Amino acid sequence: MNELNTIQPARRTGRLGAYLRFMGMAFAVNVKAVLEYRLNFLLQFFGMMLNNAAFAAFWAVLIARTGAVGGYGFNDVMFVWGFVSSAFGLAHIVFGNIRGLSRIVLEGSLDVYLLQPKDVWLNLLASRTIVSAWGDLAYGFIILALLPGHGPLHWLLFVALMVPAALIFVAVFAGAESLCFFMGNSSGISSAVSEFLLTFSLYPEGVHGAWFRWVLYTILPSGFVAFVPLRIFKALDWPLVPLLWGIAIGYLALSYCLFRVGLKRYESGNRMDARV
Amino acid sequence: MSVIQIQQLTKHFRTRFTPEGRGKALRAFFRPQYRLVEAVKGISLEVDEGEVVAFLGPNGAGKSTTIKMLTGILQPTSGGSRVLGLDPSRQRQQLAWQIGSVFGQRSQLWYHLPPADSFRLLGAIYEVDKPVLARRTAELVERFGLGDFFDVAVRKLSLGQRIRCEIAASLLHAPRVLFLDEPTIGLDVVARREIRGLLQELNRNDKVTVFITSHDMGDIEKICKRAIIIHHGEVVVDESMKDLKHRALARKYVGVRYQSPVTFAIPGLPPIKHTDRSASFEVDTRQHTLQEVVNKLSALGELEDITIEDEPLENIIADIFASRNEQSARGVAVGLAGKALAAQTLAGGQS
Repeated sequence: MNELNTIQPARRTGRLGAYLRFMGMAFAVNVKAVLEYRLNFLLQFFGMMLNNAAFAAFWAVLIARTGAVGGYGFNDVMFVWGFVSSAFGLAHIVFGNIRGLSRIVLEGSLDVYLLQPKDVWLNLLASRTIVSAWGDLAYGFIILALLPGHGPLHWLLFVALMVPAALIFVAVFAGAESLCFFMGNSSGISSAVSEFLLTFSLYPEGVHGAWFRWVLYTILPSGFVAFVPLRIFKALDWPLVPLLWGIAIGYLALSYCLFRVGLKRYESGNRMDARV
Repeated sequence: MSVIQIQQLTKHFRTRFTPEGRGKALRAFFRPQYRLVEAVKGISLEVDEGEVVAFLGPNGAGKSTTIKMLTGILQPTSGGSRVLGLDPSRQRQQLAWQIGSVFGQRSQLWYHLPPADSFRLLGAIYEVDKPVLARRTAELVERFGLGDFFDVAVRKLSLGQRIRCEIAASLLHAPRVLFLDEPTIGLDVVARREIRGLLQELNRNDKVTVFITSHDMGDIEKICKRAIIIHHGEVVVDESMKDLKHRALARKYVGVRYQSPVTFAIPGLPPIKHTDRSASFEVDTRQHTLQEVVNKLSALGELEDITIEDEPLENIIADIFASRNEQSARGVAVGLAGKALAAQTLAGGQS
């Protein structure tokens, strides 16, 4: 029974391989949990794609009548919708708790994660997947397949841009949720930030005023999850891809720091609950 | 060797409150008022390796807060602690490799999945190598009797089965110290007995140090060798279970049953309850010897049965809580009401 006493020295904390194994296992367990309810999965998967397709139809009608909107033609709008949808979906598939963080903190359910020898932020965010996000993820790839003139390089670039965009979603959503450490119930502000970021990302950059674009490249970085990826994608501008990754890592670092500072104020709780 | 060392540990919470009365809620919205709650007030103690320690106290005494500080969940306001030589407030992650914990009201198992899947994920979290994990899981499944439901979704398990899985899961990485906060809460008699047996075995065979809070005196009496009682955030008793029970040796409970109805009229010895043929008495042996009591009871009629018992542990601890309440209330008579209240709080809920 004591054989394992020798295998958990402090030096193991933070090993990348171990974290990747943990993330892979968490993902597999989450997927299995989702597939426990097959009908629910299928309904949410196709429901979300149908929901996205309805907006595509709206834009098709609008652009057919008015021509380009804010400098975006139909294909641009479809790309942005598909891209943002996939990045948003990926963020919620891998880090499903990004919009449940404040609830977990306020209910004192962070205890379980604090008791485990993994980074609490990563452990918490990765311990859930959102079912409907699978439909979002698939939607982007379907749009890409339907839009004309895209070869394997475009597909590769699409993925290379989608991952940092997803990380920016993670950073902003988790950061807004982390405000609960400082202001108690922050669900209002965090849901507003989420909605604004998503909404502003789905409309052409040109419709926003010049001053407002400052906001869209800072607090609500729609610029980095939609507008910049579109420009890079259209020009196949590979050298800019690492820059987008760097920006994503910067946002993640800020979000992580906010969480760590807030964690010192955590007060736990004694609510009865289960891990779902 | 001490595995847990606590020095003047305190925890204060600042809580906002809204005064009663018209317009005060609105005023408090603009000028919030705060109250300082001293959940733990300078606790100091040490626990040696291999000890099984009961950490007792009524609701709100500070038990769970203390455990949360010892596991690194909460940051202390002042003072410090060391668990296995590590400071939980600064080395939480390193400490987590070597401690296990079960919070009766919180689950570390995935609700929609079988325990087997949670064990696999916990194996990845604690970086247990695959062959070791397989061997370790098989051992725990056998020892805790999980075989029949190890592949059944947790949501379909009984509470007793789930708690067995929770404790087994907390041992997957072979912790040296196990923190249990109300592990038997809500369990039936059979399940409680099983859990107690498993914990005793774990301590005996693996020398795991166990730090347990429980309102179930059965847990405490059966498992623990030492009791630490806290009240209003302070340690009020820290002694062996034997000494704790010794406190009450002067008090005995005598039960009698007669073959025919009798009148229970013994001067200075009123029954605490009775029917026409049976009664029970609380005897202070410093005032009445047992021989004297038995003689008097025998003289009342033909005895069918007589039992003499020590005071239940539950009463001893309830008395300690009640006496502390009396001190806190500075002379306000709490008496029996306080004792009843303490006994009530002892029976349910948690801090």
